[in-house]
Amino acid sequence: MAAHVSGIFPTSIQNSIKSSKVLVVGAGGIGCELLKNLVLSGFHDIEVIDLDTIDVSNLNRQFLFHKQHVGRSKSQVARESALQFCPQANIVAHHDSIMSPDYGVTFYQKFSVVMNALDNRAARNHVNRMCLAADITLIESGSAGYLGQVTVIRKGSTECYECQPKAAAKTFPGCTIRNTPSEPIHCIVWAKHLFNQLFGEGDPDEDVSPDSADPELRDQTQGDSTSQNGSSSQSTAKDSTTNGNGSLPAANAAGNVERTSTRTWAQSHNYDPQKLFSKLFHDDIVYLLSMDKLWSKRRKPTPLTWETIMAQQNEESEDSSDGVIKDQVLWTLPQCLQVLSTATAECSKRFQALPSGDHLVWDKDDQSSMDFVTACANIRAHVFGIPQKTRFDVKCHDSLDDGSEFRVVADAEQLKKIQDSASAETPAATAADGQAGDSDEDIQMVEADESSPSAKKRKTSNQDSDQPLKKPRTQREDDDVVLL
Amino acid sequence: MLDSLTPVITEDEAALYDRQIRLWGLDSQKRLRASSVLVCGLCGLGAEITKNLVLAGVKSITLMDHTDVTNLDVVANFLAPHDSIGKNIAEASKERAQNLNPMVQVLSDTEDLATKPGSFFGEFDVVVVARCSDKDLLIKINDYCRSSGAVFYAAGVHGMFGYMFVDLNQHNYVEEQKEFTEVVVNGEKQKTEETKMVKRNESFLQLSAALDVDWTSPKYSSRLKRISAGYFIMHVLLEFHALHHRLPAPSMREADRCELLTIKRSLLAKMEVPEDKLDDAFAELVFGQVSPVCAIVGGEVAAEVIKAVTKKDPPHNNFFFFSTLEDGAGIVQCIGA
Ligand SMILES: [Zn+2]
Repeated sequence: MAAHVSGIFPTSIQNSIKSSKVLVVGAGGIGCELLKNLVLSGFHDIEVIDLDTIDVSNLNRQFLFHKQHVGRSKSQVARESALQFCPQANIVAHHDSIMSPDYGVTFYQKFSVVMNALDNRAARNHVNRMCLAADITLIESGSAGYLGQVTVIRKGSTECYECQPKAAAKTFPGCTIRNTPSEPIHCIVWAKHLFNQLFGEGDPDEDVSPDSADPELRDQTQGDSTSQNGSSSQSTAKDSTTNGNGSLPAANAAGNVERTSTRTWAQSHNYDPQKLFSKLFHDDIVYLLSMDKLWSKRRKPTPLTWETIMAQQNEESEDSSDGVIKDQVLWTLPQCLQVLSTATAECSKRFQALPSGDHLVWDKDDQSSMDFVTACANIRAHVFGIPQKTRFDVKCHDSLDDGSEFRVVADAEQLKKIQDSASAETPAATAADGQAGDSDEDIQMVEADESSPSAKKRKTSNQDSDQPLKKPRTQREDDDVVLL
Repeated sequence: MLDSLTPVITEDEAALYDRQIRLWGLDSQKRLRASSVLVCGLCGLGAEITKNLVLAGVKSITLMDHTDVTNLDVVANFLAPHDSIGKNIAEASKERAQNLNPMVQVLSDTEDLATKPGSFFGEFDVVVVARCSDKDLLIKINDYCRSSGAVFYAAGVHGMFGYMFVDLNQHNYVEEQKEFTEVVVNGEKQKTEETKMVKRNESFLQLSAALDVDWTSPKYSSRLKRISAGYFIMHVLLEFHALHHRLPAPSMREADRCELLTIKRSLLAKMEVPEDKLDDAFAELVFGQVSPVCAIVGGEVAAEVIKAVTKKDPPHNNFFFFSTLEDGAGIVQCIGA
């Protein structure tokens, strides 16, 4: 390897490479490239850690993995493949979370340098703090779409990963998601929450039932909000399970009467898709309609019934979809119902097979989970007169990514507070609709920066007028493109 | 936009290419799927370019190299197994390249680039020449590509220095442009963003013109200060090859370092460029191939090939330089008469 052939590197660099021990955190797109570059450069003492297993959608860029490796541990296969490039290397693979308490300060202190090749902020923050505590140099990297970045972090010499505040998480008021969606994303977020309520880790902040504490409802009355609103319209709710029955206590501040009701309800109805459909897209909508104030200036939602939709089915002609991949075909409403049936059956089967207390983990690469969310988002979009989205488009939304920073807050006031606290920041020029690979919610270089973040934006003149991509170094103030 | 001959993307391809179709769109994937690429020179750089384009999903890629695998090759070309030392490097690299993506046709050619007739290059949409420091040969292949309609890339990695030259002749492409409009939704003003595709055109120079610059001319004497030192490192290496018919060798590091400095002085004098334009430290940095630099330059080359083939987004015109001399920055500059 390069450091083991004299004459390639200057001697001092050659010796440093040979005597270093390095840690690579993450064996995804960047991690695979890193491992290759490290072993070929002559680093012979490497540890790599990754919690993940290999998925077919990784193979277009995580080149240490091939089709026959799908389902296996990323760190272990990455080790095997990298060893083929340099059989003499000593590579230790950990199929584990770097956030596990097993990896303490003494673990970090074994290394000359630590390299982060992660895809989420929580793990980045953790490794950043561990490296500060262990006083070890950290090389932090990330990529999203056509963009990428790398930074060196060293205690006492540079800023750390958390010195600069990150862009505020994208937030939606809970009442928009639960009561008055107006954009496709609101329906997608709602559908993902529904998935988690039914099969996943039911987060109380991700309630999907109508929110009777919607601040809009108290605008004109100015009365004491919580208890009054909690029961204001309850008598009109047909299905008592929607928001508790009449004998339940009043809603709390978030308007939730009975937080776990959706899952309990679904379980008691054996995940019957038709009953689930009736509750979500008919009864809950009828309940929402009873909150008249919400609809004084909005298009009213339309409750749906299963039978009416299925009756339309035969009237529709098959559209041709030549040259379009299945994911990019917009499903008709009857198709959504069919998908909902199949996906609900599959997800509930898997969920019920788990030991009690365990739950499914959201994964947008899982067929049934994505089908479920796409179908529910589109049915809800139909109810509210919002444009529907293909499965392909739904999957593009970074709200569905692991470690995503999307949050739903209880109400508009809380949202305002969050936005004010992040006031001066320009909204991220996010690469959300252009994530090729290891989508990175918190990549910093796509965020507010007066210079253009991307090579795509540069001028194309042949003269000297090309603008630098990033802040130019002083001696190149008016020069051509500089890719730092 | 695409003709009826364009292959249909299968569901298997859609699953494999899921992430990149999200990035550059289905039409771009179809264009890639229809393109034939020639990669000459299976050094570390050639291997990186091959990996990136095979993963991206071109129709076919031909690995061409007439040399045999050496112990210097296997520290940079990760496609050539260690036990293949002594075998032809194009053939030795084929299996691992194919394993990266079974949907791409991977071919090998063990003939010398210098022996290929002009008609040979007409079989390809893209010609990438790596590991060729024969200036006259590069200029000849560039001419062949112009006549046959193939886009031409010449690239090299020398130690911790690397460069790329691009000739797309006349290149038409589209660029996404975002437009903001205000609409009223449910009584509230909302900004909506619309993406428009704008058609653009760019002209390129041939390598001969790009290498032949009058640094005393008004245009270039004022620009000289800001020209990347990489441009002159490239010239010194081409000259070294012209004189010695080989590249600087790690095993002769000290002697070759001195020779590089001698060449630098005479070459810059001939170009009427001040000697301090190129720091002597460069002569420490251009031995063998260093994998991370191959990855950086190979990444740029492949990204540029993808832009050219998909006719989407502004291409780099016409040089890219990378070296640790310039703070590890990659620099894109348009240089040539
Ligand atoms: Zn800090």
